[in-house]
Amino acid sequence: MVDAARHPNITLLTYAQVQNVSGYIGNFQVQVLKQPRYVIPERCNGCGLCPEVCPIEIPNEFEEGIAPRKAIYVPQPQAVPLIYTIDIDNCIKCYKCVDACGKLHAIDFSQQPEEVTLDVGTIVVATGYDVWDPSPIEEYGYGRSENIITALELERLIGESGPTAGRCTRPSDGEIPSSVAFIQCVGSRDSRYHEYCSGFCCMYTIKNALVFKEKYPDTEVSIFYIDIRTPSKGYEEFYLRARNEGILFIQGRPSQITEDLETKNLIVRAENIELDQLVELETEMVVLSTAAVPRNEATTLGQALTIPNDPSGFYMEYHPKLKPIDTPSEGIFLAGAAQGPKDIPASVSQGSAAAGRAGRIMVADTWLIEPIVAHVWPDRCINTTKKCAICADKCPYNAIVVEPDKPSEIITAMCHGCGACVAECPHNAITQMHFSDVQILAQMHAVLADKPEEKILALMCHWCSYGGADTAGVSHFKYPSSSRGIRVMCSARMDTDFIFEAFRLGAGMVLASGCHEQDCHYITGQQHAAKRFNKIPRRIERMGISPERFRVEWISAAEGAKYARVITEMDETLRSLGVERIQEENDQARPKIEKSLSRWLEVPGVAEVLGK
Amino acid sequence: MMNVVGFNPHFKDEIAAEPGGEKIELCFSCGTCVAACPISWIDENYNPRRLIKMVVLGMRAQVLSSPLIWLCSACDLCYRHCPRGVRISDLMNAIRNVAIREGYEPDRAVAQVNEWACAGCGLCAQVCPYDAIELTPVWQWGKLSTLPIVDKLLCHGCGTCGAICPVSAIGITGSRDEIIVDQIIEFAAGMG
Repeated sequence: MVDAARHPNITLLTYAQVQNVSGYIGNFQVQVLKQPRYVIPERCNGCGLCPEVCPIEIPNEFEEGIAPRKAIYVPQPQAVPLIYTIDIDNCIKCYKCVDACGKLHAIDFSQQPEEVTLDVGTIVVATGYDVWDPSPIEEYGYGRSENIITALELERLIGESGPTAGRCTRPSDGEIPSSVAFIQCVGSRDSRYHEYCSGFCCMYTIKNALVFKEKYPDTEVSIFYIDIRTPSKGYEEFYLRARNEGILFIQGRPSQITEDLETKNLIVRAENIELDQLVELETEMVVLSTAAVPRNEATTLGQALTIPNDPSGFYMEYHPKLKPIDTPSEGIFLAGAAQGPKDIPASVSQGSAAAGRAGRIMVADTWLIEPIVAHVWPDRCINTTKKCAICADKCPYNAIVVEPDKPSEIITAMCHGCGACVAECPHNAITQMHFSDVQILAQMHAVLADKPEEKILALMCHWCSYGGADTAGVSHFKYPSSSRGIRVMCSARMDTDFIFEAFRLGAGMVLASGCHEQDCHYITGQQHAAKRFNKIPRRIERMGISPERFRVEWISAAEGAKYARVITEMDETLRSLGVERIQEENDQARPKIEKSLSRWLEVPGVAEVLGK
Repeated sequence: MMNVVGFNPHFKDEIAAEPGGEKIELCFSCGTCVAACPISWIDENYNPRRLIKMVVLGMRAQVLSSPLIWLCSACDLCYRHCPRGVRISDLMNAIRNVAIREGYEPDRAVAQVNEWACAGCGLCAQVCPYDAIELTPVWQWGKLSTLPIVDKLLCHGCGTCGAICPVSAIGITGSRDEIIVDQIIEFAAGMG
């Protein structure tokens, strides 16, 4: 940290919050709110005279509340920058610190919050994680019994620079415990709280257990666990060392921890699965390995950065295997536990990788983006005369700027080409490069040119369902030959008009398929598509088309078997309805469809394809 | 040694298809339920985690014939603590339903009605925590009277019905009022 602070190209903004982020790769504007420290950084030399005179004592957050701190403080002795801050909520304004500071005149109570705007090219998000408070698990009694502590509290007790100078004392009497039990997976791997595995708790628990054993060889150390996970280099050896040092590993998740009110000892009740036996272990101290959880502000900061949170609340990477450091917003990268719980080596690796990814962009004069982007025809956009902004509302990347009385404008560098705006625009005023209405229409006309009533038109998204169809092919799964596929980038591009046009052309069945919701490659593209598709069965039914002739399926790239099954089922439906009935329905619906598609003809090029 | 050849890999699907058995595959064998179970603390042979594992492994005949599947009293203490949200009482009911269809009978004490003494007041049916008692009109000695009929499969043998009955006409086999009274008298005599 000290090196970072000294580096000429690094500016540290501490005690500050990101308020808002706008712009795009290479051109971000970040609004930062700098909180007032009430200390002038240039004058403070970190001498430490002010806290000596401060009369206020409050629990020290860095020491997990075990030790006190003053109202004028540094978060921890090694803090960078080493500048004191006045915690104004707890300060009584006695001004003793001002006297103590003397000639330095570093204390300034007139400071106000300051907003600064930074122009940056790339952003790395490394906001870390929080530790879950285990009080909701009542049976474990955290907060009720003094001698039940969390692993982070133990970490402060073990630390030589901590409040006990490295003496691991138990809170009730300040004695070194003669026995200690560690409980794993407290709040993680638990469907009631956090479903995921926090990943690094096994290793730090083994480390803490070994430290305990080394400091106090007579202390009995036991670890209650569901599974011990030691997947990284050298970790398994470390685990075996702990077993050899006499640490007792008991497989079994405790159901209850009760306190002996006189001795303040704790009784841990569990099943020892290896021995198929119930155990009641009396121990002097219990340490809970609690879940690592996303930071409190993870969702609001994610919204400001236009990066989504995964179901557990951590920031979602662009792709779990191929782009684990990138986010769906280009130019923004993830490092460390902000992306998911991880240990120090993994965080350092990801941090270096993120810096490398960002560096590629920073040294480049120009940056190539995918050519598949959306484009607005300004003369067709209705926003010039009426309030519309539907496109901006549907854009998963906030790439569309809509100002009153002006046609909406797409910031090309922010557009990822899902096509949601193109499909949703009620006036067909937006087109997508390489997937324009004209191009897709031409494909539809070609595949439905011959005996359309015997065919299934399958609209597939590029990332998942097209991959699923491909998997079905390369795996040699058998399915009827009646399907004809058309690929678009995202299910969000599948315009309602395409489905109507397919029926107008006489298609027997139409399939709309895309990624599963959680796999969507365009943040919320699939959700827009699902909403749109929900309305279609009723609309086509009103036109006289059997609703079962339109089907929506979410098929991942691995689900080749599902693709084959869906096509087989649709083929069966097609046959059971029969060609005559399909032709009859299509003939009946055609005038109504043509009426609803009339506005489409105004789109440049469409009339030619439709032969009008 | 266990012989894996005789195991039925579809047994878990059979249980999962039964109402209440859906969550069988969520269990990751952490043992919380066993440590929380009051029955396990009395009878070490009863181990819900092991029973679930036996189902998942496909030990069909062993599970269905086991007297242990009838022991769960549906107190749901384990359900509160289970990190996977598995309700073992529901799961045990699913296993029991399959066992009954296969002709296995629960081997446990259940409530019995003394038809001669019963006044048909229906208090027992009201208090039964398992809805195991139903008042049914029966032709008896030439007249229509109302009698409580006990569903042997639903009854857990808790004895609440015996305690509420004003005329001691219902009770659990082996611990009916008169037997307990005899025991008290014997005990009191022993105390001198």
